[in-house]
Amino acid sequence: MPTNIYVVDDDDSVCRALKTLLMTFDFVVKTFNSAQSFFENVPGDAPGCLLLDIHMPGMDGWETQKRILETGSKRPVIFISAEKKDDATQRAQNVGAVGFLQKPVNGQSLVDLINSASNK
Amino acid sequence: MKKKIIVSRQKKIQKPRIKDFTRNGLEKKIRRQSRELKNKKGLLREGAYREELAEKQILLKTKAIEFSSDAIFIIDAAGSNFPIIYANASFFSLTGYSIKDVIGKSYFLHNGFDVNLSDAESIKQTLLQGKPFHGEIQNTKKNGEKFWSLLRIAPVRDSKGATTHYVGIKTDTTLMKQREFEIYEQREELLHVTRVGKLAEFVSSLAHEISQPLAAILSYAEAVQRLFKGREPQLQEIMQNIINDDHRATEVIRRLRELLKKSKPTFELLNINVLIKDTATLIMPHITSKNKDIHFELDSGLPLIQGDRIQLQQVLLNLISNSLEAMEERPESRDLLIKSFLKDTKTVMIQVKDSGCGIPAENMKKLFSHFFTSKKDGLGMGLSISRSIVEAHGGHLDAENNIDHGATFNFSLPIGTKENV
Repeated sequence: MPTNIYVVDDDDSVCRALKTLLMTFDFVVKTFNSAQSFFENVPGDAPGCLLLDIHMPGMDGWETQKRILETGSKRPVIFISAEKKDDATQRAQNVGAVGFLQKPVNGQSLVDLINSASNK
Repeated sequence: MKKKIIVSRQKKIQKPRIKDFTRNGLEKKIRRQSRELKNKKGLLREGAYREELAEKQILLKTKAIEFSSDAIFIIDAAGSNFPIIYANASFFSLTGYSIKDVIGKSYFLHNGFDVNLSDAESIKQTLLQGKPFHGEIQNTKKNGEKFWSLLRIAPVRDSKGATTHYVGIKTDTTLMKQREFEIYEQREELLHVTRVGKLAEFVSSLAHEISQPLAAILSYAEAVQRLFKGREPQLQEIMQNIINDDHRATEVIRRLRELLKKSKPTFELLNINVLIKDTATLIMPHITSKNKDIHFELDSGLPLIQGDRIQLQQVLLNLISNSLEAMEERPESRDLLIKSFLKDTKTVMIQVKDSGCGIPAENMKKLFSHFFTSKKDGLGMGLSISRSIVEAHGGHLDAENNIDHGATFNFSLPIGTKENV
């Protein structure tokens, strides 16, 4: 059964490109421009891994992850961001995320991370 | 007598008689004469009073001029070369010259007791045309101390309109000037801070905007490579080139970000000559490959400056590589000169002088603007970032064309002290 991937990034172009790339790995990809729109459309218990941009207008990546944890959802989350703050990897782990990747992400390392998250 | 007359007059009014006419005539005469006398006496008294008053007023005016807190002086217009015939106490205390130095001497003797020669000439010309002079001038006291003053000299004319004297007033404006200068400096400082801050802010948002599509391009290219895996080797190669160039662009952005992260410079005491030599060593292969020569005129006795080693090296590298590019356009020019010297007790100057093509006048103004470039593949960021760095160090960076060939970039840096590192 194919794995579901949700991409939340305010940049349309990044969403579309990640979807195109991940589809070549046979993932089923749904993209959202904001965390709000993700929460409205995807129930907390729907299976799938979330690729979450950190810098977004409105609810940012950290807030989104906090809310996911608060709802009791076990969804694996991978943070992606163009800016690499020194503590980003550590912080991502601290809030229970699978990992952190800096944009532009290398397709293979992203897929490896998704697979390791899904097999947990 | 007066009383009597009045009495008789009353009598006359009361009891007029023919007999009285002659007596009345006499009385009239006396009365008239006495009135005239009285008038004359009054006039005399008034004249004396007026004279006294005038004297008092002259004294008062003289004293007022003498005690004025502005320096006041009078020049004899008939004398040769503007001799001073009077100067008040403030004049002496302001200029530091004594009566002996001043009275009877030309106002312009000691460069006008203050002003430089061209100023003196313009004052003379204005006065000789019969016009008043008005201007702010930097003066020198007898002890050599500089001060600023507002100088007004006006012609004094006689009843026929001919100029007989000149009266001058000098107001010490040193404090005002100082205040003005302080305000100017504060404003400049504020501008620098904003300029540097704005640039960092701008570059940071630019970096973010560019990195998004770069991320997308990479993902698309990787997707295409996967879709055609094992097929279309030519297409695969092109996709790989796209991926490589995407990585290169991303790396530029990443480095730019690193630079901004480090935008809080770490200040240390530096020997600028060592820094110049180190930087030149870095770029030496580039210089020799272009068949150019680099020369140094470094003042070995320079005090240390305070600054961020990396950032200042960046400025030097930028100026040197600009110079080399300018010299490439003139193959006959070979020499690049870097000078360091003490500009004043607080400032070190560094000059990068090339013999290249120089800077066209129309580019001079925009030279330091963000994204202005005259190069085919330039970004227009080098000089604007360099200026921001130098200004963040409390110095200035500017450019000028040389008289013969090429251009010179000058930048100043304040001398470092232990306290401000």
